[in-house]
Amino acid sequence: MSKKQKEIKEKMKVTPQTILLLVLFIGIAAVVLFPIFCITLASFKPSKELLRFGLNVKIEPEVMSLGNYIFLFTGKNNYFMWFKNSLVITAIQASLTLIVSALVGYGFAMYDFKYKNQLFMCVILIMMIPMEIIMLPLYKQMIGMKMIDSIWGIILPFIASPAPIFFFRQYLSGIPKELMEAGRIDGCSEYGIFGRIILPLMAPSFAAMGIFVGMNSWNGFLWPLIVLRSQNKFTLPIGLATLITPYGNNYDVLIAGSVMAILPILIVFLFFQQYFIEGMTAGGVKG
Amino acid sequence: MNSDNIGVTGSVERNKTAKSKKGFKAFIYSQKIAPYVFISPFIFVFVIFFIYPAISTVTMSFQTVLPGKVEFIGFENYKNLFNPTFFKAIKNSIMYTALTLALLIPIPMILACFLNSKNMVGRNFFRSTLFIPALTSAVVATTIFRLIFGELPGSLMNQIIGAFGLSPIKWLKMQHTSFAALLFLACWRWTGVNILYFLSGLQNIPQEVNESAELDGATTMQKFMHITMPMLRPITIYVLTISIYGGMAMFTESYMLFGSNKSPNDMALTIIGYLYRQGWEQNNIGFGSAIGIVLLLFALVLNFTQLKVFGLFKKED
Amino acid sequence: MKKITAKLMSILLAGAMLTGCGGGNAAAPSTGGNGAEKAPAAETKTEASADAATMELWTFQEIHTTFYEELANIWNEQNPDRQIKLNYTVLPYDDMHSKLLIALQSGVGAPDIADIEIGKFANYLKGEPQLLPLNDVVDPELNNIVKSRVEIYGKEGKYYGICFHIGASVTYYNKEILDKAGVKAEDIVTWEDFRATGKKVLDKAGVPMATIETSDPWSFWPMLASQGGDLLKPDGSPNVDSPEFIKAIAFVQEMIKEGTMVVAPGAFHHAEEYYGFMNNGGAASVSMPLWYMGRFTEYMPDLNQKMVIAPNPIWEKGQPRSVGLGGTGTAVTNQAKDAQLAKDFLAFAKLSKEANIKIWTSLGFDPIRTEVWDAPEIEAPNKFTDYFLNSPFDVLGQIKNEIPAIVTGENLPKVMDALKTSTLFRAFEDLEDPAKLVADEQSKLN
Repeated sequence: MSKKQKEIKEKMKVTPQTILLLVLFIGIAAVVLFPIFCITLASFKPSKELLRFGLNVKIEPEVMSLGNYIFLFTGKNNYFMWFKNSLVITAIQASLTLIVSALVGYGFAMYDFKYKNQLFMCVILIMMIPMEIIMLPLYKQMIGMKMIDSIWGIILPFIASPAPIFFFRQYLSGIPKELMEAGRIDGCSEYGIFGRIILPLMAPSFAAMGIFVGMNSWNGFLWPLIVLRSQNKFTLPIGLATLITPYGNNYDVLIAGSVMAILPILIVFLFFQQYFIEGMTAGGVKG
Repeated sequence: MNSDNIGVTGSVERNKTAKSKKGFKAFIYSQKIAPYVFISPFIFVFVIFFIYPAISTVTMSFQTVLPGKVEFIGFENYKNLFNPTFFKAIKNSIMYTALTLALLIPIPMILACFLNSKNMVGRNFFRSTLFIPALTSAVVATTIFRLIFGELPGSLMNQIIGAFGLSPIKWLKMQHTSFAALLFLACWRWTGVNILYFLSGLQNIPQEVNESAELDGATTMQKFMHITMPMLRPITIYVLTISIYGGMAMFTESYMLFGSNKSPNDMALTIIGYLYRQGWEQNNIGFGSAIGIVLLLFALVLNFTQLKVFGLFKKED
Repeated sequence: MKKITAKLMSILLAGAMLTGCGGGNAAAPSTGGNGAEKAPAAETKTEASADAATMELWTFQEIHTTFYEELANIWNEQNPDRQIKLNYTVLPYDDMHSKLLIALQSGVGAPDIADIEIGKFANYLKGEPQLLPLNDVVDPELNNIVKSRVEIYGKEGKYYGICFHIGASVTYYNKEILDKAGVKAEDIVTWEDFRATGKKVLDKAGVPMATIETSDPWSFWPMLASQGGDLLKPDGSPNVDSPEFIKAIAFVQEMIKEGTMVVAPGAFHHAEEYYGFMNNGGAASVSMPLWYMGRFTEYMPDLNQKMVIAPNPIWEKGQPRSVGLGGTGTAVTNQAKDAQLAKDFLAFAKLSKEANIKIWTSLGFDPIRTEVWDAPEIEAPNKFTDYFLNSPFDVLGQIKNEIPAIVTGENLPKVMDALKTSTLFRAFEDLEDPAKLVADEQSKLN
């Protein structure tokens, strides 16, 4: 604490610019948080209030209650099963995708090899194929591999995911290749260079991609829906979407459930965010 | 997968002499082979999961695909693409992509620089705040926006413009305003994510460079133009590439904002929306595949042009 | 190594599944041969211990599962030798339909029984239907039910689905507003009456008489149906440029110009905005099918004890005052493990007397079996009878011979789509010239 305070004292200068900046960000944050504030507020009111008076920001203690949350926790619904499934899939998928994609991205960024550009074009190609149409043949493929209704059917086709591969490649292209040469001279193997020299430098990119992959997995909808068959394996986004029907929506669970759904991934975010700060202090290494 | 593979091959080699084992090891460890080992997971995934579906999609685009009735119909599906609704979908997708690129690259980049500066108070708080929208489920986010952009005088947006003396607008029933709502939603959801990318890129810029520039008397603007922007180039290319695809493939936002895949006069119909309508809502998967292929070509051409212009495939040294 | 384990696992699994099926298929002819002697013993054994055949059921509507569960319990009581256990999967609406298409296209992964919405049903009848014809279980009951509610799910004389309800279109009037204007719902017979009343309502109460949807066809369709018009011609081709379309559009446009009708806020009667608008007394009436009752009780609490249900207005006396709209056809897929059992259960759950009473008491739908309309169980008070000022079954009784079926066919999804995204919006929001508009829309559909 004291060290931090010292740092702040040392480096912070209160200038008109900083104040202006602060005002700007408070403005942006207000706009961004407003809808979140609205649903959080709405989640404490019976859904009939939302339909009666529309979206509003009135704090009305007389109609507000924990009713929706109590219903969520105790009522007859599958919310926590969805929640748990999503947590499991996100944890496995995010960590595997992160590791595999980092390896691939590193290979593309730091080496020159035959067919490199052609192979990289394949990465971009996969990124651009619309899921909405490839899902039929991909599903048939999954049948052959007996991966229907299994989380591996969700995870494996996207384990070497093009967006993270591309990101890691781009990120690493900012790191000087001399570091590798230095490693080789020190007697590191090619894999040792990756593990001992490059990996530590990738912390900020891991943080960004960890958040990105985690978020995608947490919000993943279409493909998990096609692969999964058993209701007890459904994930949160699928479950929440079932509350919306052409014959009327279940707003009570929907709104309270969505507010709750933000929490775990926000925690992951706050955790990973630490690495941005650490990355900054490690900045000196890269000179 | 990767290490597994080495293990299996290794055990096959076990019977051979120590010398050849060493040779194999040397082979795997050689600088020539290492890159292939690194990218092998991608090659596996590509070969195992994507070659068949990709070929199958191309094939289907020349077929009528119905149970018990799969027929080759030549270019019929592609000929049917020449209709005003599809052109409208293309126009909408391109316009949405262009506008999101114009908004969602420069703004997050600048905001990221501010958030990276040491003089910024509460930067952790703002980073987290701007990121929260990306975490909300699409279903709920759009329900909220549907209510914000409601057409009744009491809806939030109409109250805001009412404060400026304007009369209520039917936001989601007019081309320009419904696009504005879509863009607002896009900015709300994705600004925080793009900030994150740029922030991680900014960590790659050595502090010393900035400091020495400061000593040389460079202004903030000069530093941004001559140090930050060029150093962020790789990340910018990445953000550009995924934004192009994200824009061209946008569907969920439009679907949710209008309660279903049915915006009035198709004013927010996108290419994927059209694909979904034809392929799945009307069970014409052959035609849907043709739309998918066209989208793929569009996204590829746009992206390869962009990547070429920014010199991604150039040999760096 | 992993692969071998995986293979072993799948063989084991397949083995387990085979024995499981044997237990359920007691009636299936045995394959004969040496095993024949042993098999029956094994079967009786499994039947005694594992008591029920498991069936997968997909729906997009959570409350349907409660209904099926109640019915399955009654079925199991009545059929001790044919016990069933239903495994429900509730899926998001659009995605359930795509997932089902994928599963049926690829021949793997479909459920035994599925709820399919009427607007999507035609998709499953394209090519060779992957659903099973239900004629053997439906035909014996055909005289007891509103026949059109299975015909709309038919193709070439075969029925592939059974509906939950008739979906009779009616008009819901807000009596409080009508009273303010000094008019009565009973006095409205023709659309001209409706319009004249609308002027009084606008003058005295200051609100429009009705709302019309632009992104759903439910309120517009009855105006066609009473003229004998429809979205499709009897041969199944698009019918958008018909004189009935022009007449109905022109009439609504006049009312909109007068201010007696407005486009529903949010563009359809299922929008959150519309619920709020209507709940706060925004319009004096709305034409929707009877299944819309649930939307009133759920989302418009302030209209409690204010709404009256009445037959729709017509153009001229003698025209039908209603039409059956919407619906969910429940079907048995060709991947059903025990097709006969699934069909028999489905027939029980949708056609039997007790089921049709439950359709009203637990779902609030107008049941398709006509004899239950005046069964004593129907009279019992529930949340719908408490909410509305009159009984929906009184209205249903008045119009029971005036509920024509709509024409269905492969073109229906396409025409519905045109109506929802373009035709109605251009007609009622842009107020384009009706004749030119429908000609243009028809040309796009051909």
